[in-house]
Amino acid sequence: MHISFLIHNAYGIGGTIRTTYNLANTLAEHHDVDVVSVLRHRDEPVFTPDARVRLSHLVDIRKDSPGYEGDTEAYRTPAKVFPSAEGRYGQYSALTDERIAAHLTSLQSDVVIGTRPGLNVHIARQARRGVLRVGQEHLTLDSHSKALRLQLRSVYPRLDVLTTTTEADAAAYRKKMRLPGVHVQAVPNPVPAPGIEPADGSHKWVVAAGRLAPVKRYDLLIRAFDKVRRERPDWRLRIYGGGKQKDKLRKLIDDLGLYNHVFLMGPAHPIEPEWAKGSIAAVTSSLESFGMTIVEAMRCGLPVVATDCPHGPGEIIDNGVDGRLVEVGNADAIAGGLLELINDDALRQRMAGAALQDSERFDPAHIAERYEDMFDGMLQRGGSLGGRVRGSMHRARGALLGGAYAVRDAGRTVPTKGRLA
Amino acid sequence: MTAVFTRGTLDGSREAAGADGQLLPPRADCIADSAGGLTFDVTDPGEGGAAHLLLRLRDSDPAVEVRLPLTPAGDGRLRAALPSSVELPEGRWNAYAQVESGEPRRLMPGVNDLRSLVDRAPSGSRGHVAVRIPYATKQGNLSVRSWLRAPHAETGELVIEAAGLAGHGRVYGTGLTDAAYVEAGLRGEPGRVVRAPVTAGSAGASEFRFDLGYGALAEGVGVWNLWLWPAGEEGPRVRLARLLDDVADKKPIFTYPVKRVPARGGGTVEVGPYYTVDNDLSIRVA
Repeated sequence: MHISFLIHNAYGIGGTIRTTYNLANTLAEHHDVDVVSVLRHRDEPVFTPDARVRLSHLVDIRKDSPGYEGDTEAYRTPAKVFPSAEGRYGQYSALTDERIAAHLTSLQSDVVIGTRPGLNVHIARQARRGVLRVGQEHLTLDSHSKALRLQLRSVYPRLDVLTTTTEADAAAYRKKMRLPGVHVQAVPNPVPAPGIEPADGSHKWVVAAGRLAPVKRYDLLIRAFDKVRRERPDWRLRIYGGGKQKDKLRKLIDDLGLYNHVFLMGPAHPIEPEWAKGSIAAVTSSLESFGMTIVEAMRCGLPVVATDCPHGPGEIIDNGVDGRLVEVGNADAIAGGLLELINDDALRQRMAGAALQDSERFDPAHIAERYEDMFDGMLQRGGSLGGRVRGSMHRARGALLGGAYAVRDAGRTVPTKGRLA
Repeated sequence: MTAVFTRGTLDGSREAAGADGQLLPPRADCIADSAGGLTFDVTDPGEGGAAHLLLRLRDSDPAVEVRLPLTPAGDGRLRAALPSSVELPEGRWNAYAQVESGEPRRLMPGVNDLRSLVDRAPSGSRGHVAVRIPYATKQGNLSVRSWLRAPHAETGELVIEAAGLAGHGRVYGTGLTDAAYVEAGLRGEPGRVVRAPVTAGSAGASEFRFDLGYGALAEGVGVWNLWLWPAGEEGPRVRLARLLDDVADKKPIFTYPVKRVPARGGGTVEVGPYYTVDNDLSIRVA
């Protein structure tokens, strides 16, 4: 199978970028995979993809590059295809519209995967017929503005597949968006094995990691730890990450006199060796679109105490078995969850073992398999219905039928002009 | 528009090469042991010949270097060991891989597994404290921060009180006597010192605590360095420092509230402890 990812910027840092590479690298073991980055702002990507994954870009915005296009008229002209209510709209332009369209109408792949709403819109509207159109939603439906939801609602029905990171979000899309015939499926983000020994549970440290943003509610975690400290002053807390809340959190730590117990560690790359220094992980968010850090910590052998917030934690943690879910927004509940694991070494060790075992299901090999099975099923289902992909049927372009089979049978032959959308 | 391909091929033959065909810089994973030893696992620099891991003391002239043989680790990588028995003078050591007598190539940091350094509590039986913490420099290269102190006064919890600092610590490589005291010396003004008595902690002759009032310090604007005199005036002078964990740079992480206290000529000054770039404990009066 030839699978092509379309991503905003494959050269930067971020959850979507890391997740895309993790998936692409694993799929590349059995398939022909490329990652196409709309923008390129630096020479080398921060995360290096597997050598089998082909990485390319559509618009070069490196000021010192001979191919620099950031000063062109088209780059300064607002985008028309990319939806205006999308968060990244400001970085899109007539130039990206044109380049993405050209890329999608000349696709050589069997499957194209969009990695954010605006790019999913491009794919729904422009991907060459015969290519399975897959849109990934890394954020949740209820995190999209009403305007964006309206814009997506008119276009998403032309996708073949829409994936979410949680079952809860998949249910929301099925219920709130009219997506007749679109295959909506939850596929969790892949998280690779950490490449270091798991934590041995001997260190009296609680570890948290993430952007220092209000949604992470680290203020609540710090207040909870004030209670933990009163009962167990031998345990301490490290919070990894940077962000705008830093000064506020620093002040809270100082006001509560927790400066010998709670430490703002700054960003850490890679994060895995930092998890391994702890014995319990804490996630206190009011919202987690997936809960990547929960899986990361579990893969390092840490049981996680997490707020039972929408959407991810409850689908990752088996409450009381491999971690503890506690009430959202409640410092006492968080402290209670932490103390339960701090005060019971045997329980903590048992949960740590379960966390290690249970988190294996997020291994990229398993996640890639779920995508493969889905793609196979979709391509076959499309075939049995008489058209290779539902989208083609849906738009009743009967002439495509033979062509679509031809594409699959011929593999990666250059398409004829007649098959271009 | 055809996408411009920039990296990687289907056959993976350019795995060790960058976009322009140049060799990628070698990368090292480091594992620390609790005794202070380090193991480096380096991606094969891709050249034949005997390889070494080279540690070069920053700003040393002539260059002070430690060369450690790199031998195959069995997983396609090369391994070098820096046992705690190899003395590494205090400072910042830049790490390189060198093949034969070729140009040393700066190493990039990989995974630093430093869990065994967390909450280190060496026995002190060796008479000195040796600390090596690998870290990524601001430029993204691998360096090793080294401390070698005999004796050493390790600071633990610092409690900020209304008008002073209550400090806790443990001394290595020497014992405490009844004459022990802590001294704050104003930087740049030798002889200008403030003393605070030391009381032995629960572990007897090695743990200590002290109370240093801010009143006297407030009379000297600037930085006061803190020292322990474990045997009183007759004995050695030992810099207070926090070295025994996995954090190479304490300054931005171990921070403490500042207190506003009256200054001599009226008005107020802000006083508070901080860790210097060398992880030594000082008090700033501003």
